[in-house]
Amino acid sequence: MSQALTRYHALFESLRSRRVKPKVPSGVDMAFGRVLMRAKNRRINIPWLRDQAQQIDLLAPEIRNCSDGVLDEHITRARELFVRGRADEESVRRALAFTREAARRITGEEPYVVQLMGAMALYHGRIIEMLTGEGKTLTGSIAAPLLAWRYRRLHILTVNDYLAARDAQSRGQLYRRCLCDVGAIVQETEEHERFEIYAKPIVYGTPKQITADWLRDQIRMGPVNTPWTGRQSLMAGGRSGGPMIPGLHAAMVDECDAVLIDEGVVPLIIARSRREHDMAQVYRDAARIAAKLDEGPDYSIEHVYRRSELKRRGQHRARQMFDELPDSIWRATRRAEELVRQALVARHCYTNGRQYQIVDGKVMIVDEYTGRFLADRSWEHGLHQAVEAKEGLDVTADRETLARMSFQRFFRSYPFLCGMTGTAADATGEMESVYSRPVIVVPTNRPVIREQWPMRVFRTQESKWRAIAESVAELHAKGRPVLVGTRSVAASELISRLLESIGLPHRVLNANFDKDEAELIAAAGYGREHGREASITVATNMAGRGTDIKPDDAAKKAGGLHVILTELHGAKRIDRQFIGRSGRQGDPGSAQIFVSLEDELVRFHTPRLARLVSRRVAATDDELPTSSHAWLFRLAQSRSEKRDRINRASVLRQDDWMDKYLPGH
Amino acid sequence: MTAERPTFSPFWHRVRAMTPRLRPQVQITRQHYRGMRWHVAHDPTTNQFFRLSPIANEFVGLLDGTRTVEQTWELVLSRYGDHAPTQNEIISLLSQLYNSNLLRVDHSPETEQLLGRGKERTKKKVQQQAIGLMYFRVKLFNPDRALAWLEPILRPILNPVGLIAWLVLLIAALATVLPHWGELVNGFGSAVAPSNWGWIMAVFVVTKIIHETGHGVICRRFGGQVPEMGVMMLVLLPSPYVDASACWAFESKYRRMAVGAGGMIFELFVASVAAFVWTATRDTGGLTHQLAYNAMLTSGVSTVLFNANPLMRFDGYYILSDLLEVPNLMMRSTGMLNHLAQRYIYRIKNATPPSSVPGEQAILIVYGIGALIYRLFLFVSITLYIMGQLFAIGLILAVWTASMWFILPVGKFVHWLATSPQLAEFRPRAIATSLALLVAGTLLVGAIPMPDHRTAGGVIESDQTTSLFFGADGFVTKVHARPGDFVKQGEPIITCESPELVAQLQLADAMLAEARSTEQQAVAKNETAGAQVARGRVEAIQAQITQARQRAERLIVRAPFDGVVVGNDPANFVGSYMKEGKDACQFVNPANLRVAASLTQSEASWLFELPHDQYSVEMRTLSQIDRFIEGANIRIVDAGQRELRHQALAYSGGGTIETEQQTDQRSAPQAKQHLWWVYVDAKDASQLVGGSAPGERVRLRFTLPSKPWLTQWVDRLQKAIQGRVTI
Repeated sequence: MSQALTRYHALFESLRSRRVKPKVPSGVDMAFGRVLMRAKNRRINIPWLRDQAQQIDLLAPEIRNCSDGVLDEHITRARELFVRGRADEESVRRALAFTREAARRITGEEPYVVQLMGAMALYHGRIIEMLTGEGKTLTGSIAAPLLAWRYRRLHILTVNDYLAARDAQSRGQLYRRCLCDVGAIVQETEEHERFEIYAKPIVYGTPKQITADWLRDQIRMGPVNTPWTGRQSLMAGGRSGGPMIPGLHAAMVDECDAVLIDEGVVPLIIARSRREHDMAQVYRDAARIAAKLDEGPDYSIEHVYRRSELKRRGQHRARQMFDELPDSIWRATRRAEELVRQALVARHCYTNGRQYQIVDGKVMIVDEYTGRFLADRSWEHGLHQAVEAKEGLDVTADRETLARMSFQRFFRSYPFLCGMTGTAADATGEMESVYSRPVIVVPTNRPVIREQWPMRVFRTQESKWRAIAESVAELHAKGRPVLVGTRSVAASELISRLLESIGLPHRVLNANFDKDEAELIAAAGYGREHGREASITVATNMAGRGTDIKPDDAAKKAGGLHVILTELHGAKRIDRQFIGRSGRQGDPGSAQIFVSLEDELVRFHTPRLARLVSRRVAATDDELPTSSHAWLFRLAQSRSEKRDRINRASVLRQDDWMDKYLPGH
Repeated sequence: MTAERPTFSPFWHRVRAMTPRLRPQVQITRQHYRGMRWHVAHDPTTNQFFRLSPIANEFVGLLDGTRTVEQTWELVLSRYGDHAPTQNEIISLLSQLYNSNLLRVDHSPETEQLLGRGKERTKKKVQQQAIGLMYFRVKLFNPDRALAWLEPILRPILNPVGLIAWLVLLIAALATVLPHWGELVNGFGSAVAPSNWGWIMAVFVVTKIIHETGHGVICRRFGGQVPEMGVMMLVLLPSPYVDASACWAFESKYRRMAVGAGGMIFELFVASVAAFVWTATRDTGGLTHQLAYNAMLTSGVSTVLFNANPLMRFDGYYILSDLLEVPNLMMRSTGMLNHLAQRYIYRIKNATPPSSVPGEQAILIVYGIGALIYRLFLFVSITLYIMGQLFAIGLILAVWTASMWFILPVGKFVHWLATSPQLAEFRPRAIATSLALLVAGTLLVGAIPMPDHRTAGGVIESDQTTSLFFGADGFVTKVHARPGDFVKQGEPIITCESPELVAQLQLADAMLAEARSTEQQAVAKNETAGAQVARGRVEAIQAQITQARQRAERLIVRAPFDGVVVGNDPANFVGSYMKEGKDACQFVNPANLRVAASLTQSEASWLFELPHDQYSVEMRTLSQIDRFIEGANIRIVDAGQRELRHQALAYSGGGTIETEQQTDQRSAPQAKQHLWWVYVDAKDASQLVGGSAPGERVRLRFTLPSKPWLTQWVDRLQKAIQGRVTI
């Protein structure tokens, strides 16, 4: 009986949160909505937060003197208030003071006032910007119990499985002291364990895991969209076993700009293979035809949109080749041309070492934003197969999508959402319009003293790489640790070879070499000391998020960690994120960006201007003056940001259209 | 170039496992449009329609509630290959059917969604009503029972024979009425008199109810349901309507057209009957006569202006749409024009036209342009008319309509420009194109000086004008010259005869003879005194005769100098008795001709502002419309006066000046407004003389210094309002 009730309850919760549909305003409504939201939220601003945090700080001496028993008593009473929904400003302040004290007693670190400000902002559903090393984890963990009390269940989303497990472990004691059980969902968690873990008040996990579980629930339970179908599925409950995730209540997202924005529209797909028709030969034929066509007269490629178009001559030639092929699919011209176009895109827009990497005869997708492999993921609608065919690998079977969800859509279904990141300010507009979450920039505990050296602009890639190697050598000689950031695996390997050739010892961190990541990151901050050389680390974006490189004393003395960015990223935030590896917590440090006119960014987004500029400078000039060329790169970057923004908006619109007009969702 | 149709959709998983089917009550009928077969799905319970292509129809037909969407799609794919719908097309088809409540998706009840969609629809309806304030409609009741009773009664005549009988009746009615055309036109004045307003309203309502009954009856005749009747506002005039949309599902286009025409057929039937009544009661007059007239007027006018007019969305539009076999004519023609703009101005390569059949495209383009021009025309004329009558209401209506018809589309256009994903790749170019067009348009209208012409009506007159009078009482017997004829000095123009004068002369002659003989007798008798007296008498009689001869001479009106007859046509006098001193005609000297034009105050204002050398004038006589005469020496008579010197300039004489009702035929007509007279000479005097005669009407065309169109329009609008508005 009680089990049935629990299940019914879980289902009810699940249904309720499924039916929460955030509104997507558009046009004037959106602008108006943003103004309205700002007006509504203007009370919670930096001075108010500081005032609150200071009041909490004043409570500290009193609480510090209580015994453990009294503290527990206080916490229990505070929880009561929150669970019953009776928490007022005063009780929020007191509760935060208790969790702060509990954190101090358990871990020994006492949150600063700025961290209290952050926690307060989180409690009020803000996206907070806190720089790296300012103690985001601690900030989150003192706010988390309050949210778990108030919203019954809290999902804390971390960047990767490792962090989820680590935080659940290291913060577990604190949460349990605050009467919240905690669990972590990682790749390896068995399914039956998941049911139990999701039932806990605080759940750690990566967005991918939780979204995927949510999707699996949906597949298992069928379309649950009305109370009626809900009851039906409950009656058939014996079969489906009810939902795994008992509803979405509240979420706290770490590195939320990465999750909500950069990866916001990358769909998470649950698919299964289809084996009805062996398409391998078809993809190989398409790749062969694509190889025979000439770029220019036969087809054109739009790199920015990853699209190709067959011209008249190309169509004609392709059709002749279709006629020689036996498979019936080539008789349907439109479908056949589509296959060829796809093969062309696979050929020109996807390159080994950038978008993917061949590992053990398989195509592994490299995540553009984190630089890591996306295991078990594949591109949709035959693109994956087209890439496999191009590389001459075994062509896997077509997969069909069973369910699909983008983070953008998923996180909008949480009734309560807050987040933390090092770089939120740049994304304020989108956070406000898409997620209706205001952004607050929390001041740093200690001022940042990192030096930003001027950007260096080169005409060719070659001269850029040479200059980077020279710069690394120079800094290395001074005994400073250097971190070289690249956009792709291929680039990281290129600079690695270059450094090797001039005899500089270094270590590479990319999707291919991610085994000793933790050790490598720990060593990345070493300066020259007792005969040990200062470290040189070449890394893809893997080192960009959630990694904490601590320079040792020798390094600090030499000037701290120096970060070199070998290319501008598609969004300014990602650059900032990577540069933020140095100069943490008031440490010394410096950073410099190297770009060239042959970089992908300017080639794709400002092709004409880039050509114009490179034609204007003399062929002998390798390095170009920064002041007169930086604008081009900034323009390209802002164009790229804008394109992504439009893309995300259009995906959102499509999703909403589907929700509104398709039956059953 | 065909637009890209990707086979796969990323959202396919959301529909692939569904097992939908059409709701059981949905009926599908076949229709043909321009040689293409289509299928119309119709749910009689909700009166929702959806048009399916043959392949879509087959797809929908294959959905039987057990097959999944994916299986069905694969079936269709294997049958039609390239022609099969893509996944995206299937998704949009399903969503459209579903949102029209034609598709049942699960076996579970979907009350909530049904209600939700119902609410959405109501909201949309309200929005549409707000936009079309001029065409507001209110639902009243379900007329089905009444029609079910009426239709069997009328059935025997609802057939081709009935139609022919109706046509015969219509022609007969026209034949009876036409001979009395003048009377018909005169009747208009009394029809719009305030005393008749109530009657005309009543007749209007009755004829319109009959009109709507016509739609309903014919719709039922062919098996359609008519679920709704109500009242709608038709440009501020309440008018009944019925919902005969059930006919959209009729297979035969002629039946659909018959339903569309039904209203007009019934209404014109009433009008024909009224025509007979009107003719029959012509002599007696009275209320019956007036009511019959009202019926003819309301049905005739509303049929011509609204119902039969295909450019507005009334009966004629639907009939035309069916006749041409182009469904959704209005919307798609707008879409077609949009498409042309997208394709050729914005160069969007993958824009899809609403139709790919060339014949249909041509129809859409022609209709689209026609409707656009008509809409503009209607807007301007209705607004100006209402503003002339009731300035405030006119202004509100004008602003409202302008915002709905022009500002709203402009807003939509800006929105499209700013957000359309179609433009994603070349938005800057599109914005630049729009700005360039805007700038070009603004320059063209607001900055580039354009020739500014003003026209006015005038009359040729001479500065040496004489009135000719009849010199003696008499009957006019012969006219030698008509207006415009040239007459040499001394030659006769009018000959009169006076029997009285002749008798007088004969009497005088007799008396003279008698006097003479008396004189001779006296001389013979040598009666000196008597002879003296008789001589005196003879002399007196002789003087009398001379006088009478002179008068007889004056019976002939002669030209006082070489000149031209103008003004009244003396031929009108033939046979009548004219008293001495009465006006015979005007006579002018053609050597000194000039043109006199009259301008109202608002028309003439520029004349006072501009110096003489800033404008020029060209003239054309109506008899030789292709010959331009350059004007010179323009003189303005400053003082405004109301007397109209030439009948030809008044409305009644074919001119443009409104005159007061004349009480005294003899006095010159009075204009309603003060007039300013402008005299213009021909630069080459011979041009006016040769061929053109004084009294002839002339069009004057003033060429003002070039001004931008915008300034000209504002100028003219101001004048139009100045002239009309009574606040």
